This record gives sequence, structure tokens and C-alpha cells, in this order.
Amino acid sequence: MGSTDMDMGLCNGFDYCKEYRSLKILPANDQIKELQTILRDRNTSRSDFKFYADRLIRLVIEESLNQLPFTECNVITPTGATYNGLKYRSGNCGVSIVRSGESMEQGLRDCCRSIRIGKILVESDADTHEAKVVYARFPEDISRRHVLLMYPIMSTGNTVGKAVNVLKEHDVKEECIILSNLFCTPQAVQTILDSYPKMKILTSEVHPVAPNHFGQKYFGTD
Amino acid sequence: MAAKLNCVDPPSSASSDSDLIDAHEYSEMFPDLEVQEERSGDFYNTPASPITVPYCPRPPSTGSQKSPRARRQRTVSLNQNNTTQTKTDIMIKTPQRTIYTAGRPPWYNCEGQNVEPFVIGICGGSASGKTTVAEKIIESLGVPWVTLLSMDSFYKVLTEKQHEVAERNEYNFDHPDAFDWDVLMSTLQRLKECRKVEVPIYNFMTHSRENRTKTMYGANVIIFEGILTFHNPKVTEMLDMKIFVDTDADIRLARRLKRDINQRGRDLEGVLKQYTSMVQPSFNHYIAPLMTHADIIVPRGGENEVAIQLIVQHVHTQLQLRGFKLREELAQVHAMNSGPRPPTVKLLPTTPQIRGLHTFIRSKDTPRDEFIFYSKRLIRLVIEYTLSLMTFHDKIVETPQGVLYHGKRMETNNICGVSILRAGETMEQAVCDVCKDIRIGKILIQTNLQTGEPELYYLRLPKDIKDYKVILMDATVATGAAAMMAIRVLLDHDVAESNILLVSLLMAESGVRSIAYAFPKIQIVTSAIDPEINDKFYVLPGIGNFGDRYFGTEPNDDC
Repeated sequence: MGSTDMDMGLCNGFDYCKEYRSLKILPANDQIKELQTILRDRNTSRSDFKFYADRLIRLVIEESLNQLPFTECNVITPTGATYNGLKYRSGNCGVSIVRSGESMEQGLRDCCRSIRIGKILVESDADTHEAKVVYARFPEDISRRHVLLMYPIMSTGNTVGKAVNVLKEHDVKEECIILSNLFCTPQAVQTILDSYPKMKILTSEVHPVAPNHFGQKYFGTD
Repeated sequence: MAAKLNCVDPPSSASSDSDLIDAHEYSEMFPDLEVQEERSGDFYNTPASPITVPYCPRPPSTGSQKSPRARRQRTVSLNQNNTTQTKTDIMIKTPQRTIYTAGRPPWYNCEGQNVEPFVIGICGGSASGKTTVAEKIIESLGVPWVTLLSMDSFYKVLTEKQHEVAERNEYNFDHPDAFDWDVLMSTLQRLKECRKVEVPIYNFMTHSRENRTKTMYGANVIIFEGILTFHNPKVTEMLDMKIFVDTDADIRLARRLKRDINQRGRDLEGVLKQYTSMVQPSFNHYIAPLMTHADIIVPRGGENEVAIQLIVQHVHTQLQLRGFKLREELAQVHAMNSGPRPPTVKLLPTTPQIRGLHTFIRSKDTPRDEFIFYSKRLIRLVIEYTLSLMTFHDKIVETPQGVLYHGKRMETNNICGVSILRAGETMEQAVCDVCKDIRIGKILIQTNLQTGEPELYYLRLPKDIKDYKVILMDATVATGAAAMMAIRVLLDHDVAESNILLVSLLMAESGVRSIAYAFPKIQIVTSAIDPEINDKFYVLPGIGNFGDRYFGTEPNDDC
């Protein structure tokens, strides 16, 4: 995994994975590159956009789940043999940042049927452009859980920074926060991981230009 | 169709038309064992035709040159004394499951290479009883997957002028020039190579080929019958056994007279005139001399039980020489094989998630709803990974942000899925979820409980499957026998080996190696490879019977 991650980082001009150990990039392959290409193409129809966005989200969510803690466990198969498997610990939850983060909720639901999902609404002040948390609702025991923070596009990192602050105010440990992200800029990685070095970021691509049309095109409000 | 035939002038002679309706009821009952005509708009039109006879309307107005048989339009049942085969004949129902007993056993060796089918040529004059002999052979052979190919399918398309001559009953259908030998030879050649063929359907009303064709695929024994089957030396070379049905001229004439007058309402004089002017001279000039090429001459046609028994014995011996115990061989040949896996085997990176999912679906205590849920997640990952193995090309796109993005797009949109029933069907949904509007074909292969061999029962593939990348799906691969059969089916339908991806959740080491060895260009994708296979051909540690667990059809251990 390491080498592909590095290539990915290098081709963007930054060796991020080395610099930031808690940045994980989805192992690159042509198929994922195609999904990214479709999402970035301005000529993609909305129905295609949503279809391929959902596919990429599913892959990112599956990979995010790999970051959660697990224990070894043996099970007996129907043939009577033993399989050395592993078991995920319970005590996880998802938190989506309204609105674009909600596009990833279904993907999480498709993988974890009964997972609890909290929400945070962060809005930018029209005058000062400063991000402000206006709404947050979490499971009560969130401080004891691992949190998958869902936000697909990160260009400055301000919004995510605010959301992480709120989680920390609710006593969530920084090392228990995993950001699931589709596209982020090098600048955002830097901003977040410099401020919160213990949290993890999982993304499919680090690229200087963020596809900021994502939310509008996904929800059809463009 | 029956109606169409009824309203035309009755052909000069035919054994019986009454079977026609039966044939169509039969077709609905056994879509997989029956002559299928292509329906327009239906793209699943490549039927497995284990026992096929081309649909071939007989000359309605051409007079008496040929001896039409409605029977030729129907599937000839195997090992059945009456032609209206019933459902119970090919199925055994037990409390737990329904077992079909007439699938096609492997027609290739353990290296996946086709073994040539046995081709029997039957020649003889018109109304000599060729079809009766063919049917008796099929009946006594008791071997499934017999194809009956008639020379009638290969009559030449007539020009307008010739058509007029035919209208006056003066076109000689018994002359060698009446046949399209090129098409005939290529068809027979492909059948001999075990490939799928489109057999033309000749319309005797218009004297042209219909737009539809009859798809023939899958024969271990091919019976090729007609009046001039030994005429062309190249065709004769392709025949493994040559039978000449020698019936006295007066008996043949008597049959024709009886048929034409009783059943066709023709007058004695007309029949006799045609017989003496064309049928008899052609027989003497072209057909009778062919007797010298024959290996066996059967006097008296279908009544000759002794001759037929001798023929059947010989065919059995020949088939046994070509047959083998495939699955056991597969399990043994490569079981000891260690060393690096071939590069075409692609194992998904074993992430914690994949191991976690495997833990759920492998545990015998997992309830079915969880089993289905976690299988689906795993299947989705396997399919996504499979797509990443396709070929891509660079593409630069414009983004709404005004910059160009260097991306990639897949080379082809022609991807289709083919699932091996039943367990492979569980993977169809995932393929549909990741590929918009994908076409899905199906192949049913069941293990014969007596022989332990896989047998082919049914297949429906998209038209032009040769132009597609094919994702072949089966949930588990143990010895690889079923997968190999499915691959063989695809290759016989002209799919390039390099265009096939075999995808499954779990494979056994030996199965992977057998397939990779037999078909080195096929990409094999799986999420786990287990080391062993037990004596019941289950993978160890394995999942158990994936299909039974997914569909909830496990035999109940409690009672």
C-alpha cells in the first residue's frame, strides 16, 4: 500500500503520506481514477454523477472501516474446519457534516446496517466567511466511540476543523476520529493534521483543485 | 407456426405432421432442451441445445422430390421410447431438492481443450428411412447432447427464375447443385470443433433462408443426415462413421406413394411423374454410387434392429475412449502443485475488512440475514476490484473549476456478466450496481451426484457475446470443474480467452491452479484462496454450500 500511496502523493507534488503518517489514501487503481475523472468532468450528467459518486463513496467508506479497531477470532465453518478470522469491536458511530457529508450516510448504512449517525451543521458567516457551528446532534455516549466523520470535499479544512472542535468538546478523543473524504487539497491536509495530529484522514485523492461543485451536483441544487 | 404449415399445400410426403403441436408445448416446458427460435428483441437468444434439430419447413409446393418430416422440427428425446418426454423423466424429486439427470457432461479434457464430438453421417435415398435410423440410434444410445443436423437446412437460395421452375415442380432438389456446400461445410466444421453455430432455416415457400437462424450448441454426438451426405469428399472426411441406408427402390416408391396420396392428397400420376423424371434418376446417378464410401450399409432402414445395435455399440466404445473422470483428475493433478501462483490470479488485498467479512460468512453460526448482508458487501468489493483490472486509457477532462484534469476512462463499455447458477447469481446484483445497464447471461451447471461430474443444463447468453468483456461469476470455486465448463462454453461462443474474468469469493488452491493452467489468459479474481478440498469437493476451511446458505435451501440436519 505504501508505494502506491507515495506515488499518489508524489504525482500531486507532495510527499504527504510520509510527512503525515495519519493521512491514508485509497490504494490507487485505474478504476478509482476513472470514478474521479467522471466526477470531475464538467460534462457528466447528474444521474451519472450521483451513480459514480455513490460508488466512490462506498469504496471510501469500506476503506475507512479498515481503520477501525478489531480483534482476532476463530470461527467454525459449515465444513467443520476452523477459520482464523477477525472481529470488529463495537462502539463506532458516524457523524456527517451537513450538507455534503450526508451524501455519504447511505454508503455507511450499506456497510453497517444499524450504526448510529450524528450530524453537525457548519455555516460560513456571509460577511466574515468564518465557519460557525449552528447545529450538532450526537449519540449520547459519543465520547466512548470511534467516530467516522463524513465530509466529501475538503478545500480549506475550516469546516472540518470546526467539526472536530465540536467533537472534542463532546469529549471524543482525537485519535478516535477518522475523517472519510473523497477529495481534499494539500492545504487542507496540512491545516487539519497540523492542528489535530492524532486524528486520521482517509481520502481518495489529494489534489490542489477541489471539485467544489460536488454537493450542488449530487443534490441537484446547482 | 403450426397454423402456417397447415394452410400451405401439403408437401409431397412426410412421416407425420401431428407431432408439431407437441413440439411447441414441449418447448415451453423445457426451454433449455428444446429447439429455440430466435425471437426478435430478445437478446438472450443463445440457447443451449443439448439435442437439437433445426426447424425446417418442408417444400410445400415443390412436389415430391423430398420426404419431409415434421418430426425434424422437434427435439428428439434421448433414451425415450415415446417422443412426448415428460418432466418426470429428466428430474428426480427428493424432499430436499430437485435433481436433473440429463445435463451435458464435460466435453473437454482436464486441460480445457475440446474433445471432438463423434460425427455420424447417414446417407440414403429419399424415403429410405434415414430419419428413422437416426432416431433409433439416438434412442438406443441413451446419450444426452445429441445434435441431429439435416442437409435440408442447406438448400441453396433460389433465384426468381429457379423459383418459378420449382413452382412447376420441375426444380431438381435431389441434385448436388441444389445444396450450398460452403455453408454446410463450415457449419459441420464448427460443430466438430464444439463451437456454437447458426444453422440456416430454409423456407421452402420462398426458397430462401429465413432471417432467423437456428442456434446449435453443445453436442457430444452429431448425426448428419441427408440424401447426399457422402457426396463431397471434404464432408465425408469429417464423418467418424458413415452409414448408408439401403432400402429397395420399390419400397421407397411405395412409401412415397402412400404418403403423398394418403396424407398430401396428391394424385397417383403426378407423384409417379416426379418420381420417374427426377427422384429416381438422381438416386441412380448421385446417391446410389455413394454406397461405396459407407462403413456400414443398413438394409431395410429403421427396422433393422441388429444393424442399429451394432452401430450403437461402436459409438459407445468410441465415446468411452474419449471420456474421462474430469473432476477427480482436476482435484489430483494440481493438488501437489506448489510454487508461485500464475500472474493471472488476482487476490484482493487482505484488509481487516475483508477478513472481517469472511469471518461472518464462514462461521456456521451466522444467521442467514447477516450471511446475505455480509456476502453482498464482500461481493461488491470483489466486483469493484474486478473492474479495476479492465484496460483504461488516459483522458483529459475539463472541470467546472476551469482547470483540466488528467484522468482515465475504461477502454470499453462492452462488459457483460455471466453467472453460473445458482451461487453465481448472488453476484449479479453487485455487477448491476456498479455497471449501468449491464447485460447478464446465465449458465446452469449441476454436479451429477452419481458421477461427481459437472453437467451443463442451460445457458442464455447475450447476443454477440464475443464482442464483450465477460465477468464470469461463481461464488466459490473448489476443483474448478464447473467454472471450467462455463469457460469452455464461453470460448465455444467465440469469446476471446483474454476477455474473460472469472470472479468468485472463495477459491481452492488446486482449482485456481487447474483453471490458470488450462486457460492461461483468463484473469482470475477472488477474495480468498483456501488450501484444501475435502473428499466431497468442498473447500476447507471454506464457506460450506454458499448457494444453499444464501438462498436458504440447506438440507435440514435436524430431521
